[in-house]
Amino acid sequence: MNEINQNSTRAHKANEAFKTRMNRQAILSFGVCVHCGMCTESCHYYLATKDPKMAPAYKADRVRKLYKKYFDWTGKLLPKWVGGGELENEEDLKELMDITFGSCTMCRRCSFNCPMGVDKALLMRTGRSILYEQGIAPQGVIDVAKDQWETGNQMGVSEEEYLETIEWLNEELQMELDDPIAEIPMDKPNCNIVYAVNPREIKYAPQSLLAAAKIFYAAGESWTMSSKGWDNTNFGLFSGDNKLGAHMGNLVFDSVERLNGKMLVTSECGHGYRATAWESPNWTGRDLKFPIFNFLEIMVDYVKSGRIKLDPSLNPFKVTYHDPCNLGRSGGITEEPRYLLKQSVSMFQEMYPNRADNYCCTGGGGAMSMSEYSKRRLETAVVKANQLKETEANIVATACHNCVDGLTDLIKHYKLKMKVKLVGELVADALIIDKKFITPTFKAPEIEEKLILMVDDEVDILTYLSTLFNDNGFNTYTATNYENAMEFLTTQKPDLITLDLAMPGKNGLSIYKELKTNEEYKDIPVIFVTGVNPDNPGQLDHRKFIYEHSLPKPEGYIEKPVEKELLLKIVRKCVEVKVDNLN
Amino acid sequence: MDPHIISILKHEVHLIALFIMGTVYIGKIIWIMRFKPMVERTPSKGNKQKAIINSYLNIAMPWEMESTRKKWYVWTEFAIFHIGVAFAIIVSFIVSFGNESLIDKTIFQNFFMVLFPISFIITLIRLARRIFLPVNRIISHPDDYFSIILMCVWFFFASWFVYDLYNTLIMGIYLAITAFLIAYVPFSKMSHYILWPFSRYYFGKHFGHRGVYPKVRVQ
Ligand code: SF4
Ligand code: SF4
Repeated sequence: MNEINQNSTRAHKANEAFKTRMNRQAILSFGVCVHCGMCTESCHYYLATKDPKMAPAYKADRVRKLYKKYFDWTGKLLPKWVGGGELENEEDLKELMDITFGSCTMCRRCSFNCPMGVDKALLMRTGRSILYEQGIAPQGVIDVAKDQWETGNQMGVSEEEYLETIEWLNEELQMELDDPIAEIPMDKPNCNIVYAVNPREIKYAPQSLLAAAKIFYAAGESWTMSSKGWDNTNFGLFSGDNKLGAHMGNLVFDSVERLNGKMLVTSECGHGYRATAWESPNWTGRDLKFPIFNFLEIMVDYVKSGRIKLDPSLNPFKVTYHDPCNLGRSGGITEEPRYLLKQSVSMFQEMYPNRADNYCCTGGGGAMSMSEYSKRRLETAVVKANQLKETEANIVATACHNCVDGLTDLIKHYKLKMKVKLVGELVADALIIDKKFITPTFKAPEIEEKLILMVDDEVDILTYLSTLFNDNGFNTYTATNYENAMEFLTTQKPDLITLDLAMPGKNGLSIYKELKTNEEYKDIPVIFVTGVNPDNPGQLDHRKFIYEHSLPKPEGYIEKPVEKELLLKIVRKCVEVKVDNLN
Repeated sequence: MDPHIISILKHEVHLIALFIMGTVYIGKIIWIMRFKPMVERTPSKGNKQKAIINSYLNIAMPWEMESTRKKWYVWTEFAIFHIGVAFAIIVSFIVSFGNESLIDKTIFQNFFMVLFPISFIITLIRLARRIFLPVNRIISHPDDYFSIILMCVWFFFASWFVYDLYNTLIMGIYLAITAFLIAYVPFSKMSHYILWPFSRYYFGKHFGHRGVYPKVRVQ
């Protein structure tokens, strides 16, 4: 009985919340749909499944029923006549969550194919917001939003870890540029640019921040990062929580004002740019005194003004470009990346359809953090996979970290022979500085006796990794299963563990759990080095596992086949930086 | 039909229906205006005016959207259907406030004799689509079915009427349905007439502001 009351209370609260969400644009998008079905075939969920319940208009109607019930004139009297209804119980809430979070990436492709101009993303976000307010959302969204509220960034990176990572990146930068004064400036006042990044760049993808630093260096830019308010991402956009949206916006805007920067530049992150440049000024209600740009726009300016020079022959690949939805359909950035790629790669191949007509990478709208929908996401990714395949490119470039993850996942799943790179990384690889080519080569740093424990059931992988690490000055120990690894740990404490996830017997995730819940081992940094089983992607979903067991995130994650240089970068970062390990 | 009834249908009923429609439309516009619009605080990146114009013209540019590019036949149906609606209403005005003889044996009568039956067939196709296509069925509510059936019956009698201008029974039915339609429109999905200009305006304004619209399309 109590449960029933609680159920109906949450549903009732969600209904009440809906009544407070209307503005003029919303009532028009809710009211104007004529149920013509013209938007149906623009949605990758429908195209991949042919399930009528995946049609955009059907999904929108599940939220629209509330509008019909509470706002539509006829619906107030005869709700059933016009498809009106309320949320009545927990089942209804669950269904709405499945639709708004699990069946729509808010990519707006359908909106651009609707003759009436219905903004489905607005409707879906409204649906998400009334659920989120009742604590109903995929666990990943709740956790990330919590991290943003508590730590100011979506990956819970502590200030210490952040600063030490930047310090380590400085050394890498100096080494690569062969210039002891090259640096990533921190908290430098009165710069031209304050650069805000996606925490993924601090945690898992330092190469993109390094690429940006090289480009700023080559352009002789006066720029800085901030020790506070440096995360350009914003889960307020995905959860529908405008308060979180404003909180994240305020953090970044405050940084620019504190440092007296002339402009704010967001790194290559689609939703980060959209949230920071377009939505946050509205959510915060602030009239900003500085302009906001995307890093792509800045790079174009450098090339056009001759501040940087590029040699496309340094990227001798066939490269295509994936337009992130938040840039192509919601941010007005489509030509800049194309211009840059044409200047920095030897062969650019357009993808069709493209620009505002492009298909979503399937990881948008926060989908990458919703492990409960991974299977559906990868199933619908067939549309994107076919589109990629047709380009016959070696590299798919994009300008969004979220898209990098989404595309990497689907490339693995559909066994495509392609790699994903950010536009800035390709530009950095094509840079000419003082007529000397900057090549992404690595010198072994002087590392004293750092010990790496490698756990993997594949002996050839272990051999490969040991050689790589030994050549680069590390000591190594190999273990082919759980028992070997634990036995070793009772005798020695390594500085780092690389862990395969899919292993017979006790798998990598169980080992990880054991390590991170044991006082003695929990501070040892762990890097997942793993391949995805394309036939069963959900089987070892580490994100889901980590959320479900409230474990800290690993210090690194890299997929097989291993990219040598990237792995070395992450390993160096972990052993050189004393990881705070509070996630 | 009794000439007296015809006269009431032509004048009083028609005017009452128009009055209801006008009143409800004005009420609806006031209602829409009472909701605050979301206002952008950022400087505009694109050309909003151009985007708004493009957003309106989108209706006449089937090549603009992938949906109408691929389903050109649906767009064609849409165009003919809406032209049919406009002229079927105009004919009712001519009959009510003028006289049916005004169109008798004119080129217009010939035009209507082609347009209305085609529109009638299109309503049948649209109804069939709603009933038989799973996606269209799942997104349809009673109002959707009722509206399309109403249009279907209306076009049927409009077609008959333009073939037989002096058949008072058919004229009476046609005028009665027209009056009902005019009064019912604002309460049904057909009220998209009133919402569409606003909706396309804000669509153009929003995406124009952010430099997304008009779309860059280089295929
Ligand atoms: S195309 Fe627009 S009007 Fe037609 S069903 Fe889709 S959302 Fe509704
Ligand atoms: S916004 Fe994108 S994912 Fe959502 S219904 Fe529309 S096309 Fe599908």
